[in-house]
Amino acid sequence: MDFDLSVITDHARFLASGVGVTLALAALSGVTSLVLGLVVALLRLYGPRGLRHVVVLYIDSMRAIPVLVVLVWTFFALPIVTGLTMPPFAAALIGLTIHLAAYAAEIIRAGIESVRPGQTRAAVALGMSPAQAVRRIVLPQAVVRTLPAFGSLLSITIKDTAIASVIAVPELMRQSETVAGQSFQPIEVYTFAMLVYFLMLFPVTRGVDRIYRRVAHLGRS
Amino acid sequence: MTLDWSVVWQHRDALLAGTATTVLLTFATMAIAVPCGIVVAVLRLYGPAPVRAVATAYVELFRNLPLILVVFWAFYVLPIWTGLSGLSPLATGLAALALNVTAYNAETFRAGINSIRRGQVEAAMALGMSRLQALRRVIVPQAVRRITPVLASTWVSLFKDTSLVSVIAVTELAYSAMQVRAQTFRVLEMLTAMAAIYWLLGYPQAKLVDWIQRRYAVTE
Amino acid sequence: MTANSTTGNGGGAARAMAGAPCIVRYQGVIKRFGAFTALNGVDLDVHAGEVVCLIGPSGSGKSTLLRCTNGLETIDGGAIEFEGATLPRDERALRAMRRRMGMVFQSFELFPHFTALQNVAEGPRTVLGQSAVAADARAKALLAKVGLADKAASYPSALSGGQQQRVAIARALAMEPDVMLFDEPTSALDPETIGEVLNVMKALAEEGMTMVVVTHEMTFARRVGDWIAVFDAGRIVEQGVPNQIFDAPATDRTRDFLSHLGWTG
Repeated sequence: MDFDLSVITDHARFLASGVGVTLALAALSGVTSLVLGLVVALLRLYGPRGLRHVVVLYIDSMRAIPVLVVLVWTFFALPIVTGLTMPPFAAALIGLTIHLAAYAAEIIRAGIESVRPGQTRAAVALGMSPAQAVRRIVLPQAVVRTLPAFGSLLSITIKDTAIASVIAVPELMRQSETVAGQSFQPIEVYTFAMLVYFLMLFPVTRGVDRIYRRVAHLGRS
Repeated sequence: MTLDWSVVWQHRDALLAGTATTVLLTFATMAIAVPCGIVVAVLRLYGPAPVRAVATAYVELFRNLPLILVVFWAFYVLPIWTGLSGLSPLATGLAALALNVTAYNAETFRAGINSIRRGQVEAAMALGMSRLQALRRVIVPQAVRRITPVLASTWVSLFKDTSLVSVIAVTELAYSAMQVRAQTFRVLEMLTAMAAIYWLLGYPQAKLVDWIQRRYAVTE
Repeated sequence: MTANSTTGNGGGAARAMAGAPCIVRYQGVIKRFGAFTALNGVDLDVHAGEVVCLIGPSGSGKSTLLRCTNGLETIDGGAIEFEGATLPRDERALRAMRRRMGMVFQSFELFPHFTALQNVAEGPRTVLGQSAVAADARAKALLAKVGLADKAASYPSALSGGQQQRVAIARALAMEPDVMLFDEPTSALDPETIGEVLNVMKALAEEGMTMVVVTHEMTFARRVGDWIAVFDAGRIVEQGVPNQIFDAPATDRTRDFLSHLGWTG
């Protein structure tokens, strides 16, 4: 089996732009899903009862529906409902945010609930208001405790950007498909894509492990 | 904007067939990935150093690749490597899914076995048990308790991931729904129906996983 | 001939003259963990029917010696003999020897997925190949012996620490061992339950079981022990009969250790 790497070098810039889009989409949806996830988690923990049920329904629905379905619906069906046209990148960003925020919310909730209630009691005993206790004592510990889970979610986020290829977002997967289709050398192209994704993803989990090991003691009470 | 929801009912056969394929794919993948995962986990835990390295490399590789890429790659590479040019998309999709889930399962089994306290092994050995006996009588029964909730969670993820083999034209639910959409041009109806069917199937599964996790919660 | 010794084989001559064979013999035992030397030349004899108590500060090597006795750790120098035979390196042969030794752990280590009865019957069933009926009958009898006949169908999670440890003792006894090794059996127990475990151990001693006990319970060591070995930094600094060790310790180290424990005799 001959490996003709020229197809990679010939299209290096094209593929590199794909990597750029992948990273941009991952970073942006990472941030937006985190923000939305935080809001959702706080609503679930401290919000009024009716809203809590809605939130739980949302979270469980995202556990049931595949990312592919969410992305496809957001790109093709949402414009029909809203009457607004949507570029692929925006649709992917919205779809990924909605899907990932549910998982982020669950991670945050689990992190907050894992901080011992004695910590809140101690904070209140010092004279802090409940809001101060959450902000100064509970959340920082929860952040540390949730690092491994968020590392995992980041990894999933990067992998999910590849699914955005289905709605024509020009990230790495999509660019690879284009090159493979034009050059009739799918093996070289897809193997190269595998290598690039692996090099992106492997350090994420390892890096999170390293960071967690160093700060884990800050979250242990 | 006029909506015609009857399209969904008219094409219910295609949707049902797609659903059946989705379910079949999920079962078949797990049927392969559970035994294979056990084998890989055991090799990784107890095998000689080179075998352990290979097993670890396999697990780390497939846990760090997007599944959709693995599906494409399998579609183009597998026929050449295995020499079977007549490999159906379904078989290819199944292979890609199995490769992926086996890696996750191997990690689940390995972590489950490792989570059993060393003292348990020592107590078993102090009684005169062999390593195999200790594994069989003491470690595995306890590990199963810890592994079951994770396996249930993996099952639900797998169920959703079967939608990704639609990209190589496997006629599971997502592909079938999108085919009908292409034929009838009823975009909103079909895509919403697709989401609704996944929701109907996935929601109870997610709740079941919650129940399993509560029931098998381990208190040290 | 004095019955105590600060060096050598622990007054072995005097004790051997009593006619009891040597069940366990430690000769110059050395054990290292990387750069750390946990045992630095330990000499000790354990005769049949004796209760030998190993006392000393944490980290002095007492538990390590116990774990080397049944091969859970392998030694780096010296020799350990069990009933006249050197401890083998071969796993199979080692297993055969382990059947004749019983070990009780500080953390009990009962199997949580078995009831008390099943825990006690597990050794005879899986290791000795006894029938379920025979193993269960023996298990019932042993549970009764440690005072837990009514807890036979309970799972460890439903038992107190003291009860779990008594089941653990019964589990070890089910194998009919020639020596019982106790690794700080009461260190993880609430004060109220320590007594019930020590009583079982005392009864066992009175029946003539050979026992090696790592413990911080000085009253127990004094009343039930036949021979005391004081450990410090991987060596036995002093060994002798309880009266001598506790009332008239010969070395400064022993005196320091006992005074730190608030031992006033």
